[in-house]
Amino acid sequence: MSDIERLNSMLPNSLSVEESREKGILTLSVGPQHPGSGHFRLIIKVDGDIIVDAEPDPGYVHRGEEKMCEYRNFMQNIPHLERPVIADSCSILYPYCLAIEELLNIEAPRRAKFIRVIMSEINKMIFELYWLGIYGIFLGHSTMFMWPMADRELLIDLAELASGARVTHAYFVPGGVRNDLPDIFKDRAVRQLKYFRNRLNEYSKVFYENPLFIDRTKGVGILSREDAINLGVTGPVLRGSNVPYDIRKVEPYDVYDELNFDVKYMKDGDCFARAYVPYLEMYESVDLILQALEKMPDGPVRAKLPPNPKGKVGEVFKRVEAGRGELAYYVISDGTQKPYRVKLSVPSFRAIPAMRKLLIGARLADMPAIYWGLNYWPVEADR
Amino acid sequence: MKNQSPTNFNIWVGKLKEAIVKTIEPPIGYAINWGRIWSLWPVHLETACCSLEFGAASGPRYDVERFGIIEAFGSLRQCDLMVIQGTVTRKMAPRVRMIYDQMPDPKYVIAMGACAITGGLYFDSYNVLPGIDSIVPVDVYVPGCPPRPETLIQGCILLQEKIKYTKFR
Repeated sequence: MSDIERLNSMLPNSLSVEESREKGILTLSVGPQHPGSGHFRLIIKVDGDIIVDAEPDPGYVHRGEEKMCEYRNFMQNIPHLERPVIADSCSILYPYCLAIEELLNIEAPRRAKFIRVIMSEINKMIFELYWLGIYGIFLGHSTMFMWPMADRELLIDLAELASGARVTHAYFVPGGVRNDLPDIFKDRAVRQLKYFRNRLNEYSKVFYENPLFIDRTKGVGILSREDAINLGVTGPVLRGSNVPYDIRKVEPYDVYDELNFDVKYMKDGDCFARAYVPYLEMYESVDLILQALEKMPDGPVRAKLPPNPKGKVGEVFKRVEAGRGELAYYVISDGTQKPYRVKLSVPSFRAIPAMRKLLIGARLADMPAIYWGLNYWPVEADR
Repeated sequence: MKNQSPTNFNIWVGKLKEAIVKTIEPPIGYAINWGRIWSLWPVHLETACCSLEFGAASGPRYDVERFGIIEAFGSLRQCDLMVIQGTVTRKMAPRVRMIYDQMPDPKYVIAMGACAITGGLYFDSYNVLPGIDSIVPVDVYVPGCPPRPETLIQGCILLQEKIKYTKFR
């Protein structure tokens, strides 16, 4: 049995037009203009309040990133490759830089590796806070939008201090990072992260012990351990389903093997677990950044490269842990200044089979909780 | 008797109408434009990644609501502002036009981000429109990739200026 057949056999069969007419089933089109979707469309068939069929319709933001990579050289690819997830722009460039470094036969200086870890974790938190804020809007909890949005600005200030841009940093380059951290960065980062950790303690009381939040997420959209593995979800969704799998531990890149952190996971596999795992990970991110700031050595931050470097003939596969899960690049080079083929394997796209599986049988009112709980970022999925 | 021909009569009626409009328009037009300025309702239509900065603009630090622009939660039929948040692809373009057509008059469009203005970084992509001028008429262009929330707020204020000096008919 091929992979696609196996995947299809796990999903429920969709209904034909005649069948739905006979059974009195209503078809709804949710999106692309809908407060609960945004550049994404779900074609949902409901029987009363129960969803009997759900068909995700991605592709509203398909911008041809992979094709564009083929007519730009290695350095020119940096700005447009971070656009798919500008909330997490360092993490989406990370595997690209690792892959190109291997193709160009260079290694980033040690200080640059620590700076990359710091910026990657800051960006991961920025993404998770944005995600949490929008989740609050979806569940009708306005405070949950305002608080993470306000704390996110502090972390954005930190990233802006290092790179000069609010969200699109273009900070990682093959061979290190673009520029060194300013002198005041360390003090400011320590101060703000300590404040942020105190704020996280308050989040638990206001959001996660809130009866509104618990009612709408506990026991909703349960994804079992087997389904999570077979449907190929990654990141917080996978770890919410009792699978402690993290690329930072499984396949450590840069200096992650020198830093201490735990892989946080939950056993329930419902929407609450999926929302709680990023919260626990934010504590780990804060610890990781503080450790990296302590251990960071002095030195250069960027390896020397010729202006228009040529890659060796070959292919590279690199992956990292981003805010939404495992993010991988597969780059083929034919020995010229431009990549022959770049393939992005993004975590959001892998959430689509699981989304269909979870939506069928759920109530229509639970649709936003399930949809956004899967960490689905439409721009990234469409590339 | 030449003066009483229907043509001349029409001219006189036209002049009378002009005089009435001239006297009535300043107060009533001002009042209506004032109402429009401070209750701009944007459609919740996200086309690409600029929606992140749009979200940040309605967050606590930049709080766009103090300028009379309410966060994008209204129904499409009650909206009068459309912020095109970034790249419009060939699949999204018919939907953007459809949503624009369904909005009641008067309606205003802000093109947010380099992609919405000229195609931006994706000017040579096969699936991206080189600017949205060919689909909907644009009132204010807000440059940037993505524009900072301050820039978006400035764009909104420019739109309010524009509405202020619009003649009411």
